[in-house]
Amino acid sequence: MGALVWILHNFWTLLVALVLALVGLRIAWRFYKYGATRAELAYILRRSPFYLVVLTFCFFAAAPFLIMFMHTFKTDGDLYRRPQPFIFRQDPTLEHLDALFNNTAYLDFIRNSVVVGLAVVVITLALSLPAAYALARLTGRWGERAGILMFLVYLVPPTLLFIPMFRIVVLLGLKDDPMSLIVVYPSFTVPFSMWLLSGFFKAVPPELEEAALVDGYNRVEAFLRVVLPLSLPGIISTIVFTFTLTLHEFIYGLVFIADTSQRTLSVGVPTELILGDVYFWQPLLAAALIIAIPVGLAYNLFLDSLVQGFTMGAVKG
Amino acid sequence: MFRLAYPLDNRRFVGLIFLAPALLYIVLLVGFPFLLAIAFGFSDVTVGNTDLNFVGLRNYLAVWENDIFRQVFETTIRFTLISQVFILIFANILAIIFTQNFTGKWFARFIFILPWATPVSLAMIGWLWMLDTKYSPIDYLLLQTGFLGPNGILSNNRNLFWLATPDLSQISVIFVQVWRMTPLATVILMAGLSSIPTDILDQAEVDGARFMRALLQIKLPLILPIMVIALLFSMITMFGDMTVVYVLTRGGPVDYTRVLGLYSFQVGIEGGNLAQGAAISLFAFPLLLAMAIFMLRTASRAEVQ
Amino acid sequence: MSIVQINDLKKYFNDVRAVDGVDLAIDQGEFLVILGPSGCGKTTLMRMIAGLEKPTAGTIQIGGEDVTELPPRKRGVSMVFQSYALYPHMNVFNNIAFPLRAQRRELKFDKRQMREKVVHTSRLLEIDMLLDRRPRQLSGGQRQRVAIARAMVTQPAVLLLDEPLSNLDAKLRANARDELRDFQRSSNITAVFVTHDQIEAMGLGDRIVVMSEGKIQQIGSPQRIYDDPANEFVATFLGSPSMNILSANGFRFGFRPEHFLPKTLHDSPKNSRIFHYYVKRVEYLGSDRLVYGYVHGHEDDLTLAKVPSNVRASLDIEGDYEFAVHYSDIKFFDQDSGRRIEQQNLAKVL
Repeated sequence: MGALVWILHNFWTLLVALVLALVGLRIAWRFYKYGATRAELAYILRRSPFYLVVLTFCFFAAAPFLIMFMHTFKTDGDLYRRPQPFIFRQDPTLEHLDALFNNTAYLDFIRNSVVVGLAVVVITLALSLPAAYALARLTGRWGERAGILMFLVYLVPPTLLFIPMFRIVVLLGLKDDPMSLIVVYPSFTVPFSMWLLSGFFKAVPPELEEAALVDGYNRVEAFLRVVLPLSLPGIISTIVFTFTLTLHEFIYGLVFIADTSQRTLSVGVPTELILGDVYFWQPLLAAALIIAIPVGLAYNLFLDSLVQGFTMGAVKG
Repeated sequence: MFRLAYPLDNRRFVGLIFLAPALLYIVLLVGFPFLLAIAFGFSDVTVGNTDLNFVGLRNYLAVWENDIFRQVFETTIRFTLISQVFILIFANILAIIFTQNFTGKWFARFIFILPWATPVSLAMIGWLWMLDTKYSPIDYLLLQTGFLGPNGILSNNRNLFWLATPDLSQISVIFVQVWRMTPLATVILMAGLSSIPTDILDQAEVDGARFMRALLQIKLPLILPIMVIALLFSMITMFGDMTVVYVLTRGGPVDYTRVLGLYSFQVGIEGGNLAQGAAISLFAFPLLLAMAIFMLRTASRAEVQ
Repeated sequence: MSIVQINDLKKYFNDVRAVDGVDLAIDQGEFLVILGPSGCGKTTLMRMIAGLEKPTAGTIQIGGEDVTELPPRKRGVSMVFQSYALYPHMNVFNNIAFPLRAQRRELKFDKRQMREKVVHTSRLLEIDMLLDRRPRQLSGGQRQRVAIARAMVTQPAVLLLDEPLSNLDAKLRANARDELRDFQRSSNITAVFVTHDQIEAMGLGDRIVVMSEGKIQQIGSPQRIYDDPANEFVATFLGSPSMNILSANGFRFGFRPEHFLPKTLHDSPKNSRIFHYYVKRVEYLGSDRLVYGYVHGHEDDLTLAKVPSNVRASLDIEGDYEFAVHYSDIKFFDQDSGRRIEQQNLAKVL
C-alpha cells in the first residue's frame, strides 16, 4: 500500500521518467552496439520524429485509461472539491475498489459475462468450425455465395434486429435470463468466426488432407485429425475474439435483461453503477479499467493471428 | 446412387452437412427477426398490446413526417461520414507505422489497441468523465493554460460543457467514435499492407522509389480494395451504433446527438411502441444495403481490374 | 575491366552465415551466373549487390565507387525478381516507366524523353503492342519481358536476375533463355543471373560462380567448371547423373559416367584405368543407356556408366564386364577437405 501511495503521488513524474529512461536506455544500447559516432547520432535524430508520432498517438489512445487509473484511488473529497484531476492532495485510497467488489453487483456482472461468453464460444465453434471448413475447401460456387451472404449478415447491425428479437425473447420466456443472450449472440459471432476460421483453414496445404484421404481417412476424419490440429493457433485466436465480441455487446444485453443481478458487464456497469443521476465515479472508472487491461493484452497477443486470418480470408474470399 | 455410396468422402455432401447448421442458425436468428421487423413496421404492435394488426404504411409515414426523425437521420449520416474521413486518415498512418519494426512496438500496439479492445460502453465511462460538465480533466488543463476561465481565449467560463452544447456535443461524439474505431480500421489495413508481396516492395526500392512514392503509387493503390472493406466495416458499425450516445448523452442536448439506433430504442423499447421503433430502424436498412453492395462491388472490381 | 568488385562480403542472420566471405569481380558486359543449391547464399549475395540487404561486413564497389552504404536507387543497378514483381495495378507502360519516374531527379529528362525511352525499350523486347495491358492479362513469357524492359529502361550498369526463368514452363524456358542471352549480347549490358539450375547456368553464363554454404567454390567458364572442378562439391553438383566418387588409400577419386565405358571402346587401353564392373540394372534413355553397377573393390558405392546407345556391346544384368576410364578423365580429391589434388602420381597408385 505504501508503494502504491508513493507511485500515485508521483504518477506523472514517474511516467515521464519511465519514458525518458527507456528512450535513454535504448540510445545507450545503440551507442554501445554501433559506437557513439556522428552517423549513429544522425540516425537517431532522423528516427526521432517517427517515435514522436507514435508517442502522440499512444497518448491520445491512453489518456482516458490513465485518468481511469488515477481516479480509481481518489477520495471523494479529492475528486469533487476544488478538483485537480492530475494530482493527489489527499492520500490515495482503496475504499472504492473495495466497494466495487463488495457492495455492488460487479462480481455478478463478471460471472454473467463469463458464463454467456463461454457458452457462446462453444456454440459458435460447434457451428462455425465445420461451416468455415466447408467454405474454405468443400463447396464450389454456391458455397462462395453462402460465404458472401454470411459476410452481409455480419453487416446487419443489432439496432435493426433488437426489436423483433426482443419480442421473440419475451415469447420464449427468456426475458431477464442470460440464456437469451446465449441464444442470440451467435447471430453475429458465427459469421465473424466463420470468416476468420476459413482464412486459417485455407492456410493449411490441401496436400496434407489429400494425403490423409489416401491414407484411409474420410473427409470428416481428415478435417478432424489433420486440419483442426494444424489450425489450433488460429482456432485459439478465434475463441479469444469471439469471447470479446460477446463482452462488447451492449444493445441486446440492455434490451433483453432488466434484472440487475442477471446483467452482463458491458450493460451492468454503465447502468447499475449509476443511481439516477448520481455517478459513483471511482468505482465506475475502476470497473471499466479492470476489464480494459486484460482484454487489451489478449487483443495484442492475438493480433498477428487475427491479421493473418483476415488476410487469408480475403485472399480467396 | 453411385455418387453417395461413400457420403463422408463426397465433397459436396460433406460440404452441405458442414455448412447447413450454421446457415440454418443464421437464417433463423437473423432472417426471421428481420422479416418480423418488417411485419412490425406494418402493424400496430406495442409492448402492452402484442396483437399484430396490419396498418399499412401508417408507421412509415408517421416516422417520415416526424421532424425529429429527419433530424436524427441527418445526424446519423453526418456523424458517420465525418468520422470516416478521420478514421481513414489516422488508420492509414497507424497501419504504416505498425507494419514497420521499431523499438517498443509491442507496448505501443497494446496502448493503441486499448480503445478498440475495451467494451464500448465501459470505454465511454472514461470519456463521460473526461468530458464531464464540471470535472472534465480536459477543461482543467485548458483552465491552467489560460484557454478557459476569466479572460480565457476559448471561453470566459471555467468549463466548455463538452456534452451540453449543440456544437461541442456533436464534435465530442465524433471524436470519441474516431478514437474507438480507428484501431479496427488500422488492423484491417495492416492485414492489407502485410499481404503485399515483398518482391513488389523490393522491386520498387530497386526501381528507385523513395518512401512517399512507394507509399502513394504502390502500397496505397494495392490495398485500395481492403481499404474499401475497412471503410465498409467501420461505416456500418458506426451507422448502427447506439452505445456511444446512450452512455455519453442519451441523445441530448435536445436532439443534437440522437442517432437512429438510439431513437428506435427510445421509441420502441423505452416508449413501448414496438411498431414504430421497428419502422425507424428499418429506414436504415436500404441505405446500409446499398452501401454494402456498392462497396463490395468497388472492392471486387478493384481486385479484378 | 571489372564493373562490380566485391571484397570479403559477409552476411550473418543471427547464427546463420548466409554469405561468408565472398570475393568477386564482375567484368563489364559479361553474363555471370551464380549457381548453387537452395540455401547456399546466392540470393542473399545478389540482394546485397542490389542494396536490399545490408552486409554484416565487407565492401561492394560498382563502377569504381564504394556503394556498400548506398540505397538501391543510388547504385545504378536494376533487378528482375523470380515472381517478376510487376505492379499489378499499373499497365505495362506505367510499369516500365516507373523506375524512370522514380529516378527522375538522378537521371534528368523530360516527359517526352521518358515516353521515348519506354517505347524504345519495349520495341527492343517486342512488347510495344502490349503497353496498355495490365500484368494479369499477359502470358508468362510476356510478363518476363515486361520485367526485363522495366529493369533495362534506366540503362543500369548491372542487371540482376533472380531465377527469372523458373516460373516458365519447360518449353517456354528454353526459348526465353536464348532470347535473354541474345538480348544481353546485343545490348552489351552486364548481367548477374542467380539460379539453382545447372543447365540454365551452362547455357547462359560467360562465367559461372558456384556457391555452397555461403562461400564461392569455384569461378570459371562453364566448360572449365565441368571439366576441371576445383573440389568434390563442384564435381558432384554439376553434371547429371553426377560424377562417381570412390575412395582409395588416403584420397578419393571420381569420374563422370559418360567417361566410364566398356574397355573395347577405348582406343588406347594403356592410357586408361580398367575396372571390373558388375552390372546391376540398365535404364534405356533413348540416346544413352544408363548402367547401374558396382566397381570391384568398391562394392559400397553405386557406380554409374552412361553408354551411348549406338554402342552395340551387350550389357546384361548381373554380368561382369571390363570398363575403363581414361586417366585424364579421373579427378582426385583430398579425403578431408575435398579439394582437387594434382594427379600425375596418384594415377599410378590406382
